[in-house]
Amino acid sequence: MDYKVPKQDINTDPLLSKSPDFNRKSAVMKTDKVYKCEIINIVELTEFEKLFRLKIADRTERELFDFRPGQFAMLEVPGFGEVPLSITSSANNKEYIELCVRKAGRTTEVLHQARLGTKLGLRGPFGTSFPMEEMAGCNILLIAGGLGLAPLRAPIYWASENRNQFKEVHVLYGTKEPAQMLFTYQYGEWEKVNNIKLHTIVEKGDSDWKGRTGLITELFDEVTIDPQNTYVIVCGPPVMFKFVCHHLNGEGIPMNRMFVSLERRMHCGMGKCCRCMVGSTFTCVDGPVFDYWSVLNLKEAI
Amino acid sequence: MINKVITKGEFEKFISGIIDANETIGPKQVDTDRDGKPVYQFRQVKSFGEMDLDYTITYSSVKNFFLPFREELSRFDFSEKDWDQTVEYRVNPRAIIGVRPCDINALNILDKVLIGGAYPSPYYLARRRNTFLVGMDHEPLEDCFCESLGQDTVHRGFNLFCEDIGDKYYLTIMSSKAFRFLENVKVTDPTKEDDIKFHERRKRLRDMFKTKVEMTGLQSVMDIEFKSPVWKKWGDKCLNCGSCAMVCPTCYCYGIEENIDVGLKSSRKERVQYSCNLVDFAEVAGGHNFRPLKEDRLKYRYYHHYRGFAQNGDEPICVGCNRCGRACLAGINPKDVINELQLES
Amino acid sequence: MEYLGIEPKKARIGVFDFTCCEGCELQLANKEDSLVDFLALVEVVNFREVSSDRGQDYDIALIEGSISREDEVERLKQIREKAKILVTLGTCACFGGVNSIKNRFDIDDVVSEVYGKNKVETLPVRKVSDIVKVDLAIPGCPVSKSEVERIVVNLVTGAAVNLPKYPVCVECKQKGNTCVVDLGEICLGPVTRAGCDAACPTGKTGCLGCRGAAEDANFDSLREILREKGHSDEAIDERLRFYNAFSEELKNEG
Repeated sequence: MDYKVPKQDINTDPLLSKSPDFNRKSAVMKTDKVYKCEIINIVELTEFEKLFRLKIADRTERELFDFRPGQFAMLEVPGFGEVPLSITSSANNKEYIELCVRKAGRTTEVLHQARLGTKLGLRGPFGTSFPMEEMAGCNILLIAGGLGLAPLRAPIYWASENRNQFKEVHVLYGTKEPAQMLFTYQYGEWEKVNNIKLHTIVEKGDSDWKGRTGLITELFDEVTIDPQNTYVIVCGPPVMFKFVCHHLNGEGIPMNRMFVSLERRMHCGMGKCCRCMVGSTFTCVDGPVFDYWSVLNLKEAI
Repeated sequence: MINKVITKGEFEKFISGIIDANETIGPKQVDTDRDGKPVYQFRQVKSFGEMDLDYTITYSSVKNFFLPFREELSRFDFSEKDWDQTVEYRVNPRAIIGVRPCDINALNILDKVLIGGAYPSPYYLARRRNTFLVGMDHEPLEDCFCESLGQDTVHRGFNLFCEDIGDKYYLTIMSSKAFRFLENVKVTDPTKEDDIKFHERRKRLRDMFKTKVEMTGLQSVMDIEFKSPVWKKWGDKCLNCGSCAMVCPTCYCYGIEENIDVGLKSSRKERVQYSCNLVDFAEVAGGHNFRPLKEDRLKYRYYHHYRGFAQNGDEPICVGCNRCGRACLAGINPKDVINELQLES
Repeated sequence: MEYLGIEPKKARIGVFDFTCCEGCELQLANKEDSLVDFLALVEVVNFREVSSDRGQDYDIALIEGSISREDEVERLKQIREKAKILVTLGTCACFGGVNSIKNRFDIDDVVSEVYGKNKVETLPVRKVSDIVKVDLAIPGCPVSKSEVERIVVNLVTGAAVNLPKYPVCVECKQKGNTCVVDLGEICLGPVTRAGCDAACPTGKTGCLGCRGAAEDANFDSLREILREKGHSDEAIDERLRFYNAFSEELKNEG
């Protein structure tokens, strides 16, 4: 008379075979297990933004962490919580990854106090990416507002490292004030070494500002657009990409060649918790990168 | 799938054997309502007699035995310059007795979302795989509308399913475990008469449904009526109290909380059941709320339930148990909301 | 946290009681399983119920009770000047609490009813934030020790301090309770801030709203529901006035 329900080890479950498991391909599903990493450099970009360079401690795990431009990672500050951050370094770089963190809540405030050598946790990469290979042979317009330059830095690296594959590469960047501009120390390199044309504008200049003032859409007069041979990547606040995409749609750029990176507060990053839903779409797995047509179809997107 | 029949006397012996050998959960009367009628919940049971297998419906669904309201995802133990993370998802085997078809269908939907996607949840999977599930049919209540959604019968997602054909149960055996356990008692192959009784039972139950919800083309209607005044009407009544989501057999939306222990030596990362009806569900760092209005939040729950998301193949996730309608003090229920949306379009 | 290179600073706390039952303070000394850890986290420099020290050198002042005398006003202002963070502890400090019932009567009648011929100097009851700036409010009658622990841990480590924004119903349903409104009671659970683990409805008593309003709570709808169940507006208002925790909402209704 035996009625004992046997204990079942889920590590042999057939469902496991299709689990990406952050490419660990281990027998145990570790969707919530982080890669331990160490802060190996910190750059103070502005008063509110810092760039953290992170090195995954375990060599095997470091090799497994393979991302594409546009994807994001969840950065765990043990004890305080996780924050979703788009990866801003080169996808080609297997040694370390870089994340740009703005002070926006308590977790990021704590993170800003972290020092070199601090151990943090990383999950990911998550989400969709910019189709860089598809853009080969064309011009690329990268348009960023404010913090939106951080997600664009990965495709800028891609374009720089494969510069001969693309025609003209333009970066259009606008912020409220000059002091908010990110990665200013790299502008010279982008222009002189990588042959990228950088166009900047601020809403309100200061005494040192010699560039243009106004809204980002005003920068379009500096660029001649060939609509049949141009791809666009936009990242910034919803009002900005709404106007930008509307303008470029009028210029004749096909909707499926304009890409937008959306921002919502992800809790799980894995298409389950529903916190980042826009309409019926998960920003974390169906996005964060969407083409303009998909964005127009999203309820609640703009 | 193998079909057998078992007398109710032998069935009691069988279930008692399971209860004696395993941690077992079953339907139990826990309270009485205003009219003196029993209120049922799934609770741990120690004997067959503690359960009421003829229960009408449990107030809450069986969901939270698979998706606890609060569960640890991992913990961090701090040392001077470092920390260690532990992930524990293993659970002990157990049995759940007397689960209705709609609730099993709900688990099948959760299976799609939580283990069918790109990142299967080990926590949910471990609980699902280590649960011996015995399902049972029942007479629908006046406000049950599972039949409109085609969720009134179930053909997978359980170990054993029992349909009441008078003095016997008509068994559907879906696992070798159940088959082996049944070797302990007397079961027989269904006779022609048993088969007839089985069909008669199914037909009788189907004919009992009084509440109909118009599901035709509802998914596209949910998109088209995104700005319908129906949402404002019900949204004004909605308390945004989350009761619907707590008792719902499929609402799975959650939040992640991380708390440091009082001794500052470790921290726990927990999954906390949430509801898209709650005020801060769509709030982001810095305080912006993507769904600031009551009607936005109410609508969102319906949108998720009846339009469905890509993660479960764009299928509705409602199974028609109407627990949300019964739990809602404001009288908001799927039948009224949906039928109103459908008439309007 | 050491691994972050952040040294957790022991919080120097003072606990001060005003017009109250001191029940919230007692909660602080409860929960034996974590009391040692809790006391290790803080340095108690002034807490009449657990220590004879009367230090004035505190960072965090926990205030219990409402303010009902002129000397209390002065004492509170002095504490505010010394404290870096002033926290109201419990319903009386946060909203006025049960004591506010006094404000509904003529003050002389109240004094003679309670103290007979003895003259007592007294003022209408006020909540702490009517007099000084409050940095953080922990409501509850009494406060929940685990919530206080969590908040103190967060203050010490610099983590985010949050109270639930949603109503008590969430926790009540998680407890598997039968809804007391369905059973015929008035319950403020649907409009009251969660965090109490639905203690009262679990004990089959309707919520009295000791934790104040949940965010964006739907008072109109709850009133309509209770009316339909046969409760009078007077009975509903009486319940809302119990802890004086919904004075804003009652005012808005005119």
